[in-house]
Amino acid sequence: MSFETQAPHWEWYYIAIYFFIGGVSAGAYFIGSLLELLGSDKHRQISRTAYYLAFPLICVTPVLLIADLGRPERFWHLFFYTKEGIPYMNFTSPLSVGTWALLVFGGMSLLSFLNNLIIDGRLKSPALEGLFRHVPHKVYAVIGSFFGFFVAGYTGVLLNITARPLWASTDPLIGSLFIASAASTGAAAIALVMAWQKISSRDAIKEVVVFDRVAMVFELALIAAMIVVAGRYSAPLSKGLYGLIFWGGTVVIGILLPLGLYWYGRRPGAAGVSLTALAAVLVLFGGAMLRIAIVQAGQLQ
Amino acid sequence: MAKGMFVDTSICTGCKACQVACKEWNSLPGDPAHFRRVPDRPYRVAFNFTGDSYDNTVKLSATDWRHVRFIEQFNESRSEARWLFSSDSCKHCNDAGCLNACPVKAIVRTDMGNVFVQQDVCIGCKYCIPACPYGVISFSEKTGTVHKCTLCNDRIHNGLGTACAKACPTGSISFGEVADLRKKADARLARLKGLGFEKANIYGYNEAGGLNVFYLFMDRPSVYGQPEAPVVPQQRLMSSTAVTVASAVVVAAAAMISFRERGEKKKEEVKL
Amino acid sequence: MIMGSNMAECHPVAFRWPLKAKTDHGAVLMHVDPRFTRTSALCDIHVPIRAGTDILFLGAIINHVITSRRWNTDPFFKEYVVNYTNAATLVNPDFKDTEDLNGIYSGLSSDGKAYANESWSYQRGPKPTPAVTEAKTFTDLLLERVPGRPKTDPTLKNPHTVFQIIRKHYHRYTPEMVEKVCGCPKKKFLKVAETLLNNSGRDKTSNITYAVGWTQHTVGVQIIRTAAMLQALLGNIGRPGGGVLALRGHATIQGSTDIATLYQSLPGYLNMPDARKNTETFKDYILTEAVPLSTSYWGNFPKFAVSYFKAQYGDAATKENDYGYDYHPKITADHSHLPMFVHMSEGQIKGFFVMGQNPGVGGQNARFQRKALAKLDWMVVRDFYETETSAFWKNSPEIRSGELKSADIKTEVFFLPAAAVAEMEGTFTNTQRLIQQHEKSTDPPGDARSDLWFTYHLGKRLRKLYASSTKDHDWAIKNLYWNYEPEPSEVADYRIKDEPSAYKVLKEINGYTWEDKKPLPTFANLKEDGSTVSGAWIYTGVISEEGVNNARRRRGDNWISPNWGFAWPANRHIMYNRASADLAGKPWSKKKKLVYWDPKAGTWVAPSGDGIDFLPTKAPGSRGKDNGIGFDWLSGNDPFIMRPDGKSWLFAPFGIVDGPMPAHYEPYESPVANLVYRQQANPVAKTWFIEGNPYHKVADPRYPIVISTYRVTEHHLSGTMSRWLPWLAELMPELFCEISPELAAEKGIKNADYMTIETARGEIQARALVTRRMQPFTINGKTVHEVGLPWHWGWQARAEGDVVNNLSVLVADPNVTIHEGKVFTCNVRAGKRGGAA
Ligand SMILES: Nc1nc2c(c(=O)[nH]1)N[C@H]1C(S)=C(S)[C@@H](COP(=O)(O)OP(=O)(O)OC[C@H]3O[C@@H](n4cnc5c(=O)[nH]c(N)nc54)[C@H](O)[C@@H]3O)O[C@H]1N2
Ligand SMILES: Nc1nc2c(c(=O)[nH]1)N[C@H]1C(S)=C(S)[C@@H](COP(=O)(O)OP(=O)(O)OC[C@H]3O[C@@H](n4cnc5c(=O)[nH]c(N)nc54)[C@H](O)[C@@H]3O)O[C@H]1N2
Ligand code: SF4
Ligand code: SF4
Ligand code: SF4
Ligand code: SF4
Ligand code: SF4
Ligand SMILES: [Mo]
Repeated sequence: MSFETQAPHWEWYYIAIYFFIGGVSAGAYFIGSLLELLGSDKHRQISRTAYYLAFPLICVTPVLLIADLGRPERFWHLFFYTKEGIPYMNFTSPLSVGTWALLVFGGMSLLSFLNNLIIDGRLKSPALEGLFRHVPHKVYAVIGSFFGFFVAGYTGVLLNITARPLWASTDPLIGSLFIASAASTGAAAIALVMAWQKISSRDAIKEVVVFDRVAMVFELALIAAMIVVAGRYSAPLSKGLYGLIFWGGTVVIGILLPLGLYWYGRRPGAAGVSLTALAAVLVLFGGAMLRIAIVQAGQLQ
Repeated sequence: MAKGMFVDTSICTGCKACQVACKEWNSLPGDPAHFRRVPDRPYRVAFNFTGDSYDNTVKLSATDWRHVRFIEQFNESRSEARWLFSSDSCKHCNDAGCLNACPVKAIVRTDMGNVFVQQDVCIGCKYCIPACPYGVISFSEKTGTVHKCTLCNDRIHNGLGTACAKACPTGSISFGEVADLRKKADARLARLKGLGFEKANIYGYNEAGGLNVFYLFMDRPSVYGQPEAPVVPQQRLMSSTAVTVASAVVVAAAAMISFRERGEKKKEEVKL
Repeated sequence: MIMGSNMAECHPVAFRWPLKAKTDHGAVLMHVDPRFTRTSALCDIHVPIRAGTDILFLGAIINHVITSRRWNTDPFFKEYVVNYTNAATLVNPDFKDTEDLNGIYSGLSSDGKAYANESWSYQRGPKPTPAVTEAKTFTDLLLERVPGRPKTDPTLKNPHTVFQIIRKHYHRYTPEMVEKVCGCPKKKFLKVAETLLNNSGRDKTSNITYAVGWTQHTVGVQIIRTAAMLQALLGNIGRPGGGVLALRGHATIQGSTDIATLYQSLPGYLNMPDARKNTETFKDYILTEAVPLSTSYWGNFPKFAVSYFKAQYGDAATKENDYGYDYHPKITADHSHLPMFVHMSEGQIKGFFVMGQNPGVGGQNARFQRKALAKLDWMVVRDFYETETSAFWKNSPEIRSGELKSADIKTEVFFLPAAAVAEMEGTFTNTQRLIQQHEKSTDPPGDARSDLWFTYHLGKRLRKLYASSTKDHDWAIKNLYWNYEPEPSEVADYRIKDEPSAYKVLKEINGYTWEDKKPLPTFANLKEDGSTVSGAWIYTGVISEEGVNNARRRRGDNWISPNWGFAWPANRHIMYNRASADLAGKPWSKKKKLVYWDPKAGTWVAPSGDGIDFLPTKAPGSRGKDNGIGFDWLSGNDPFIMRPDGKSWLFAPFGIVDGPMPAHYEPYESPVANLVYRQQANPVAKTWFIEGNPYHKVADPRYPIVISTYRVTEHHLSGTMSRWLPWLAELMPELFCEISPELAAEKGIKNADYMTIETARGEIQARALVTRRMQPFTINGKTVHEVGLPWHWGWQARAEGDVVNNLSVLVADPNVTIHEGKVFTCNVRAGKRGGAA
């Protein structure tokens, strides 16, 4: 592995945050879709929240992505090869495939968003209603979930498929880690919104929380594995600012603490909703810190 | 019929003529990061002294497409005394990490085998930068795009050799057909081995799918700041994707289990 | 062997060839240099020696060679040395060596400032009967004065033979002495000596290459002489692959020596008329300059001189007025750079043209030199950028420190923009005497003009101003032959229409017949009767016929390449090449065949196409005429045709002012006492005990460290041509000082931090480059440290740094007045300097 590779100098407030938000959106969407597919009425509330979350969040991401480009006005080159005037995708580039996935996911989450609006009676559109009649919403949900995973995971694969020591040495785990984190933060986001809006029973939130717990444990396992496979190349993640962000921000504040809080909140008589909300905030914070730590530490010279 | 360069570091004098010739031919400015304002001077003054042997430009960058490294190998008594030089640039890899990574086809390979950044296509996403195993390609704030050695694309498509090879006074850099250059390199290596330079080696025949710009080193590649076993990152794409997909499946399964179990339990509760 | 030069860094293009010899032909490259440089890195052997100890090192090789088995048993060396050098010549019995006089030679004046060389002269046979009875021509004057032949002892046994003198002179120059004085391990020294010896002989030759690492010493000329002696003893002169190669400095510095920008020399190495010698009349001049050399090819001196004066004054130069000799300027003193600035500082010089120089940075004791500029009435600087010299009055360290005030400086400075090389046509003469044409690619911008333009038009205007003068001393300027108007076709493509014709200048340098203006193909055509002109006889042949400029030729052949440019004299690439054949005229060996005698044709031949540096019809073994001059006097076995005895001089009976043989003297400023002789330094070195030029005493405890100054590839000289270019500025941005980790630790200096270097002349700061490439030397059991500074920086331009020459001192070699910039003493400390540099 080379110690002479160059860093792309991606800005944390664009790229890492993009990775984070994309993950939350995709995670939420997946949970929403899954519950829609499982078809339980009780979960309707969860999927609604998820769909309402997923689309606006994913709308933020292209802005971040484009803002970090050296030539933002050329962002459309991502889809269109100007020299030959044809649509373009590079199969060997996670970034290329990922942007297309983002486009598809964006479309699906829009449809789900609209569908929800129609169901909730907030939008009246005979055309859309017709569409959803012809192709049932579950189809979009499945496609959207698939590409949602893609969006959550490709950002990690994108980092793994480089020559930067930290990113390359942690291959192939960042994609998995980001997926786990997306699921966890997606769940947390749903829980947070639901708790905040007090629109749901504690039970519904609880189920989300349970899933979040599973996702977080999985995430912890992946982090441990990652540190092991990276060996000495994990140094940027264990020292300095990014060490603090990673171990303090992600692992302690973002995973261990909420796990404890969830655990505590399970007990009867515990402070319930507000505790859950606090835990969810911590999970989201941890998810953001995870992206920042990995994206930035990987760019240290 | 790929064109390339053979860099014979055993006869490099570290004169940096190649570095300057590259800038001159390609109209590259002095690196803005190397100059600063001083009082009473209407022009910027260089301040980039590093103390690292005779190397003050340190690395390849958007304005330095070639860079000469200086490696001082002396023991305390100076009974071992060696000063190695090596002139580095883009390797025009047969399997180019940068090209593979580019989402917009800004990086292309021409009919002469060189890897070329189309400035009018690049969007400046910077993804090619970490994708190069050798730290070659670099971003310019000024153009918002990435830059690197083009193998003098304009020259070689007009029957000329590369500017750096042309300027090299000792013939340390030679330009030509890769096959011919390999013959030359083999002969030179054999000669050096014959003279007892056991550590001499060729870098770039097999490394990462073969490099069209390859080197004769007098010591291990890492001594010259080159990765010992470079990997084209995209070679890991399949495995990385597979593991990620598997994780997605695991997460999905976990979700299904956690929600379904709960859901069923609830149903049971309701039944009761 | 490269010694006294950092060839890879300072002659990067030429260095291609030794490197090729190494990689393609297995040549062994050796570098003897105090520092480990980029040259050392590419050489097979690097030998560090303390700066300023080269004569000892080389003298010890001489001792090693002449006492070696190989040298004493291989008949090649004997045949070469006895016949082609003056080893067998007998020297005046009055001669006393440094061994006899503890470090000085016989003849030193009572004030110790100069040598009289009578005791160094040859023993000669009786004077021959002159070939002429009445002298009608200048040549006749020479014929009247032919001296007796030098006496010889070919067995080399006679104690007065040059060989025995040398043997005795160098017998104490042993490997042990080298270790003690040079600080170089005995083993390394022996390796060098053995390598040279084993690679010299019938079948092999060795070359020694040097540059200013040898010249910039108070014993500079003598260092080079030691190398020449060694090469002569090894049979390495006049043969392919041999020789002592001087790597010249600026692009055409060789050309400017040939066409004499030097004060003491006329074009073609004729000495300048000198008021201190007997050169009152043209006849005196010829007798003084030509008589001692008449039995060499210099026997043609009158032809060269008359043709030169004819070129100066054209029709006005007649036999009757001695071709205008009386009107030609004569020198009155040493007018070289250092004394000129001393005179300037004393207010003796009113005006100063600076064309192609930047003494504000490059001049020794630069503060002294800049302050001298303030004593001028006016100064004209022609350059590309405002140099430190032209800006001395407004922002020099002296102004910044308040030592000088701009308002008080009366010097009026005129800055004129100069054209750069690609903006004018002309020739370069390079290191190997090769004249090559360069074309003009474009007009210079704006008001910038070539120096040729400036000089020509200045001359025209002056001639106009003096046109009506009747004063005798204005004769020269009124009658100057000044005729280089361009042909319309020469300037057709350019904006500047009055650019003089470089072709016409070169044609005049080449020479032509005055009557019909036809170029002369060789200097053998020159006449002493005023019918030919030639600006510089050595260049004759470069324009072999009208319109044919041989400097333009570009046909190489991987060997001598006789059709690539034109090598003066007469396209001879290897001088004295008769020595490439043995006594019988046969090549020494098949491998080293170059010029040899073809008995059938009755001539010397050179299949390589190289010019034959000998009279082609003079058979080997043929005797010379005792009362002849030039080739008549020389025998068929005298290859060194510019020496009056036809031999390579191991011992110089005249011509060198500080001794007939080189002896080890310490640099003028040295931390150690001379361990070889009681005499510390060159007794006749040029010194200036004046205000502003203090010297350090021997082993001065305040200045215990040796300092050397030199170049790096990335910059050129005073930096005007490199420090303005961002591309070069960023490669070497700031002045730095190379220092060993040992000394750095002792002084608490850290790599890349600032450090201060101090002498009695000044104090400067530099970034420290701590490197094992610098090393401490153990001299006679004591540690001596050396620091090194590249001297390219100044306060103008995009790469800035203190002026290194603020530290150096005015002290010089007595033969050529070159400064001792390569070694003096200093002290160093951590941190930045105090005030302005
Ligand atoms: N890039 C570049 N090339 C140049 C120039 C330039 O400025 N830049 N300048 C040109 C000019 S004008 C000239 S004159 C030449 C000069 O060419 P060089 O003489 O080759 O150059 P320097 O660097 O002055 O000195 C050469 C070496 O002498 C060594 N030295 C110092 N003292 C001694 C000593 O006592 N004995 C021995 N054996 N070595 C010693 C120094 O360590 C140094 O490595 O270069 C020409 N070429
Ligand atoms: N301490 C120390 N001092 C040294 C030396 C050293 O080794 N150590 N080396 C010495 C040596 S070898 C030398 S040669 C001198 C050199 O010292 P200088 O000759 O004073 O320095 P240069 O920088 O060569 O100055 C040449 C100037 O001419 C200008 N120039 C170039 N081409 C032209 C042209 O066509 N026309 C005109 N009019 N101007 C032109 C350049 O821009 C530059 O300003 O320095 C000497 N000084
Ligand atoms: S060396 Fe780097 S920049 Fe050059 S072709 Fe290979 S991957 Fe691309
Ligand atoms: S920065 Fe330009 S060349 Fe590099 S990957 Fe992005 S679009 Fe392609
Ligand atoms: S091939 Fe051309 S672009 Fe590449 S380093 Fe050489 S000069 Fe520069
Ligand atoms: S030009 Fe040639 S010799 Fe000089 S640094 Fe470059 S590769 Fe080395
Ligand atoms: S600067 Fe000119 S003369 Fe000097 S090495 Fe380079 S090409 Fe030759
Ligand atoms: Mo020089």
